[in-house]
Order: sequence, then structure tokens, then C-alpha cells
Amino acid sequence: MHQNSHQNRKIFIFFLLVAWICVAFYGFKQTDLGNSSEKLTTIKIGYLSGDEIEISAARGALKKKLRAKGYNVVFKKFTSGAAETEALASGSIDYARTGDTPPVAAIAAGSKITYIATGGVKSNGTGILVKKSSGITKVSQLRGKKIAYTKSTASEYFVRALLKKYGLSTSDVKLVNLETNAASVAYSKGKVDAIVAWDPTTAQLQLSGSTLLADGNDVNYNNRSYILSSSTFAKNHKSLSKLLIKYLSQDMKWANSHHSTLIKLLSEKLGVKKSVIKTTINRRKYDFEPVTQTAIKESQAIADTFYKAGVIKKDPKIKSHVQYLSVN
Amino acid sequence: MTKSTFKKKFLPWLLPIVIILFWQLAVQLKWIQSEFLPAPTEVVQTAIVDWKKGILQKNISISLFRATCGFVIGGGMGFILGLLSGTSKLFRKTFDSTIQMLRTIPNMALIPLVVLILGIGEPAKICFVALACLFPMYINTYHGITSIDPDLLEMGKSYQLNTVQMFKQIIFPGALPTILMGVRYALGTMWTALIVAETVSADSGIGYMSTNAQQYVDVKTIYLCIIIYAFLGELSNYIAKNLETIFLEWRNSARSLTEE
Amino acid sequence: MALIELDGVSKKYGDKTVLKNVSLKISEGDFVALCGMSGGGKSTLLRLISGLEKADSGSIKQENKEISTINSDARMMFQDDRLLPWQTVIQNLLFGDKSEERIKLAKRLLDRVGLIDYQNSFPASLSGGQRQRVALARALMSQPKVLLLDEPLGALDALTRRNMQDLIIKVCSETNITTILVTHDVQEAVRMADKIWIIKNQGIAKELTNPERNNQTAEAQLKKDQLVETALSCILDNN
Repeated sequence: MHQNSHQNRKIFIFFLLVAWICVAFYGFKQTDLGNSSEKLTTIKIGYLSGDEIEISAARGALKKKLRAKGYNVVFKKFTSGAAETEALASGSIDYARTGDTPPVAAIAAGSKITYIATGGVKSNGTGILVKKSSGITKVSQLRGKKIAYTKSTASEYFVRALLKKYGLSTSDVKLVNLETNAASVAYSKGKVDAIVAWDPTTAQLQLSGSTLLADGNDVNYNNRSYILSSSTFAKNHKSLSKLLIKYLSQDMKWANSHHSTLIKLLSEKLGVKKSVIKTTINRRKYDFEPVTQTAIKESQAIADTFYKAGVIKKDPKIKSHVQYLSVN
Repeated sequence: MTKSTFKKKFLPWLLPIVIILFWQLAVQLKWIQSEFLPAPTEVVQTAIVDWKKGILQKNISISLFRATCGFVIGGGMGFILGLLSGTSKLFRKTFDSTIQMLRTIPNMALIPLVVLILGIGEPAKICFVALACLFPMYINTYHGITSIDPDLLEMGKSYQLNTVQMFKQIIFPGALPTILMGVRYALGTMWTALIVAETVSADSGIGYMSTNAQQYVDVKTIYLCIIIYAFLGELSNYIAKNLETIFLEWRNSARSLTEE
Repeated sequence: MALIELDGVSKKYGDKTVLKNVSLKISEGDFVALCGMSGGGKSTLLRLISGLEKADSGSIKQENKEISTINSDARMMFQDDRLLPWQTVIQNLLFGDKSEERIKLAKRLLDRVGLIDYQNSFPASLSGGQRQRVALARALMSQPKVLLLDEPLGALDALTRRNMQDLIIKVCSETNITTILVTHDVQEAVRMADKIWIIKNQGIAKELTNPERNNQTAEAQLKKDQLVETALSCILDNN
């Protein structure tokens, strides 16, 4: 009988200790220690200097909100959209914000990339500029002139769409393919007559004696931003993508209502005068939303134009590279 | 037999029950102001409300986590240091006086330093509890080992036990009663240190609940916290006592089988 | 050939000389009792042979090997049982070595000392005599050549003591183990040993033999009584 009660005591105390440890472990999960360091999944987002993601990163809200959901966000800066799509395809980043042409080029080249979200319209800031002193006031006057653009970027699409609209062919003008920086230099030194550019370069040129001859609105070109992901990652992380869109759109709303903060931030990041940034952000609206049919049609138009011009080897079906999500 | 079990099991509970009943009565009959002494039923209600909100479980479990962690780390370190001091003369000469000196520093005096070095997060609180558990465990382990019957050690020597056998058969079991006393004592200091740590800087735990309630003059919650502390203290004491009974079975073996 | 041989052994504790130039020889199978006043150096002699103490000078040899550390061929039974209170009777014999062979041996020895039924009891639940029996079994576990008994029966009552004496005599004669008994009780010495050495003045004062040890006849009994007298007078004689 004595032996028996001893055994019972052992079992009872053992279970008491186990219960104690379970409760303590539950407590551990409630603390910051238990929540954060242990199972935080790192997600990497690629971006370009001065874009929407840079605003989000500087604001910090996105990182905080996703941390609360168990994700550790790392922002990676790239120098070109092409580099971003490459990094996406190789899996070294999970999401990327690019312009509208890099994903078209990448998909045409066979990269497995998926559109996750669409940005706001930037048609006011993308266009063709000439110097006021040149006397050119109409698009038709560009015949025979030298136009600087950058191959397989928004500027190529824009210039092709513009020429087409005004009944000009690419042989009616002299198209000069230059890197964006080189194009600006060539234009300012008078080596070319016109330049196709986007903000903030457009705003900068406008504020230093150039006229915006035509902009995106003339050719129905919105020159949107996109959030992209690799196809496999997108398939497996739908809820994360939804969160990302939700939080990004919150950041964009913030950006729309905090222009003075934004001007300071972007002029610092881009090394551009505040007046330039002011013009830029005053004529655009920041936004991110799940991919829309309209946006896909725009991208398909880019793809078709590029294919016809021989810029890309295949004409990809953009709509089969889209993840339609609903975000509330 | 039944009379003795009644005495053993129920008598200790009699006084607390009477006190609580009297307390309830006193508040209900307005003998005392319930402003500073809420009725036990009110405290129970607060407990139920907090439980439903999830506050109670969260804070209790977090406190328990901090206490356990601190105890394991501090107690473990104290045990190991005590073991080294008890068994190695070189170690004892090098470290014992330093440890004894550190022991005399009041725990409260260390708060600013701990906060400065570790901030106010979990590590700081756990470190604080660990410091409080380290010294009792060290002292008792060390004392337990050094006060083992030298005759038994000589016996072990003459029976040519190797080092492992000496430790497992003689030194450790011989020191165990004192070590377990240290465990019991460390469990006591563990709760005291935790209350202090959670009162100084925390956003969760029973200590936080209590200081927070103090700011809003929420007397019921303060009483609830006191009761929880009392309960947790008693629980750990109960476990420690039972561990002694289990591990020191040989001490209880009565001389019931005597005969020649 | 002598099993144990001491040659010119001296031992001092501080300034106090306990043994001075002691030489002796003990043959295999001997049962030697060392008798004398307390504090006369009997226990010291035993501890020297066990290796627990070191001699200041002289040599102590067992089978011609100098004893420099603990003597692994000798086991000591102490005045108090020195059982480990936290271990059961059988665990006290095993010292953690739970090989089948050891357990078998331990059970056999416990059976021999009559305590096999108590193998799982703790020492605290045993009587003093039972505890010394466990200690005896424990001493025999390593099957030593020499058994050293340091007044192991001193604390027992007369009846228990007698029983234990008989048990020890029986066990020793069965195993033919060489035994050295330290005792202040001359009668016990005569009852148990076949050689009785009187320790006095830091050395062996007299060597007596007890040829009639196992003889229970009246005549033998008389001779044994005389031997007791001789030994006693030798111990008490101041010269």
C-alpha cells in the first residue's frame, strides 16, 4: 500500500510538472520572444530608386504590419527593371515592383512571372519633350528629327504608339537608342531634337525650358507600375500577396495625402530638386490594386507592339500570367 | 485512521476558509468599506471576467514562462557552479569568495544595471529571476557536497570506487537533500524576483496586471493578483516538497521491519 | 610464505608516535586478532595494511608487492557500518555496477549472511546487526584475499555480537580468507582468532597462539580461559 501511494505521488507530480511546462510554453508563445524571432518568414521585395516601394520602405508601416503577420520584409534596391525580373526568375527575390515593359520582355523571353498588382496611372508624366527654342509645337513637325529613346522600355512603346497615331513610321524620324542617362545628356547638349522620358526626368526638363509635346494621354498610355512575383511563389502565397496589396494600397493612400513629406523624401532619395518632385507627384496618383482587365489590355498592347517591331521574339499572352486576387 | 486523515488533510484549510467567510460577511454587512477590501465574490467575478477576456490566462502563462526560464537558467548555473566549487579545490579557491561577495548584493540594487545592459525585454526579466535563483542553488549545492560524511567518502576510497561511482553513489545522493532544500528556497526567491521584475518594467504578466490596476485604483484586480501569486507560490512549494519525498524516499523508510 | 609482511614500520601523527619499528608476518589463511588498549595503534596498523594510511618508514608488503595505494586485495569493515543510506541493501553491494554477474554474487553473499529477504530495503529499516551483516557482504564482494575488521562488532549488544562472531568465523573458514581483527575485547579475540597479538608501547608486545579455537571441550575451554588471562595481564602489565 505504501509502495502504491508512492507510485501515485510520482505520477501526480510528473503530470503537474508537465502541465506547468505546457502553461509556461504557452506563455512563451505570448511573449515577443515567442512571436518574432522564432518563425518569422523573410520575404524580399525588389524595387527601383524613387518608386512606390521606396516610399513604403521609408514609411515603415508595411514592414511593421507584415511583421505582425509573421513576415520579415527585406527591401532590395535594383538599378533596372530587367535586373529585377531576372532576380524574380532566379528566386533571389519574392516580389518586385517594375514598370510595365520589363515583365512583358521577361515573359516573352520565357520567364515564369506573374502579375500580382497594378499601380496608378502615370500618363501625365510620360511623354516626348522638345526644347522651347526648337520651335516645334506639333507632333507632325518631328518628321526627320532625331528622337532619343531607350530600347524595350516605356519610351520605346510610347514613341511607337505616338508615331503610329500621327501616321508616321519609324523611318520618318531618326530614332536614337540611348540609355536613359545618356539620352538626357544627348538631349541637353542638343545632339538630339527630342527625347522620350518619364517622370521625374520629364518634370525636370519641363522646368528647364522644354515643352511636353505629347504625353501618355495622347496615345492612351498609362505607363503603370506593377507588382510581380515568380509564378510558383505567387501560387503558394496568395494570402501573403493579398496582405501585401492591402498594405501597399494603404501606404499609397498615405502618400497621396502627405505630399510635403513625400517631396522631401523623394528629392533626397533621387537627388532631384524639390520643385521637380512636386510637379511629378502632383500629376500622378499613387495606388495599388489587384490586377485589372484594363491594365492587362494595356500590357498586351505593349507586347503586341514590341512583337511587331521585333523587339521581342514571341508575342506573349499576358492574361495567362496574371493572378487575380480580391482584396477587401 | 479517518480521524488522523481529517486532521492531516482538512485542518490546514480550516482557518483560510473561516477567514474568507468572515471577510465576505464583513463586506456584505458593511462592517468594512469595500473600496479597499472587495468581497471575495467580487474578486472571483473579476477573475472570471478577465479569464473570458483572455487577459488572465495570458498574464499567468507569461509570468510562469519567465519564472520557469529564470529558474532553469539561474538554478542550473547555481547548481553547476556549486558542483564545481564543492568538488574542485582549485575552482573553490578561485571563485567561491567572488560568488559569496556577489551574493550579498541586494537583488533590487541590480535592477538599474540589468535594465541598462539588457533593456526591458524578456531577457532582462528572465535574467533578473535567474540571478535570484542562482545564489540559493549555489550555496546549497556547495554546502551539500562539502558536508557529506567523510566516513562515507573514506569508505568509497577504500572500496576503490572510481570518480564516476564516487559522484553517482556517494557525493550526489549525499548532497541531494541539501540541494533540494536549495530548490525550494530558490522557488521562493524566484517569485519574489519576478514580482519585482514585472513591476519595474513590463507590459504583461501578473506583476504588470497588478501595477496597472494600481494606476486605475482597481482594487479587485490587485487582490486577484495577490491571490494568484499566493497560489503559484504554494503550488511550487507543493511540487518541491513532493520532489523531496520522491527523491529522498530512503529518508522516510521507517524502522518498521526491525528484527534480528 | 607470508602473505603480508611488515618490516620496520613506523607511524607518527604529528608528534605522537603510534607505531615504532613494527615487523610482522601473516600467513595465508591466518585469523589474527590485534588486541590492546584503545589508542594503542591497532587500528592504525589495519589502516596501513589497507592502504588508507602511509607509513613514515619501513615497508608493508602483500605477496611481496609494496602497498603504496589502496590495497585492492584487502577489504575493510569499519566500526560503524558505513552503508549508503540512500541505497537499498543490494545497491550497497553493487556500487552501481549492475552486471548480471555482480548481481548474482551479491545475492549469493546476502543469502550467506541471511539477508536475502531484505535486499530491497533501505539500511535505515535494518537493525545494527543486520547492517553490519550487509557491510560484511559488501566487504566480500570483491572477493579479497584479506579481510580487515576494525572493531566491527563494538557497537552491538552482547547477543547480536555473539551471532555475528559465529557468522564471521563461519564465513572466514569457508572461504579460507586471511583475516585481521582489531578488538579491545580479549574474549572476542580468543573466541575468533587463532593468533592473538598484543599491541602495546607502539609495537607488538606479545604473540599468542590459540590452537584450541574450534575445540569446544571443557579442557579446551579451560585453556582458552587461561589464554584470556595471559593476554589481559600482558595488556594491563605496566612493564
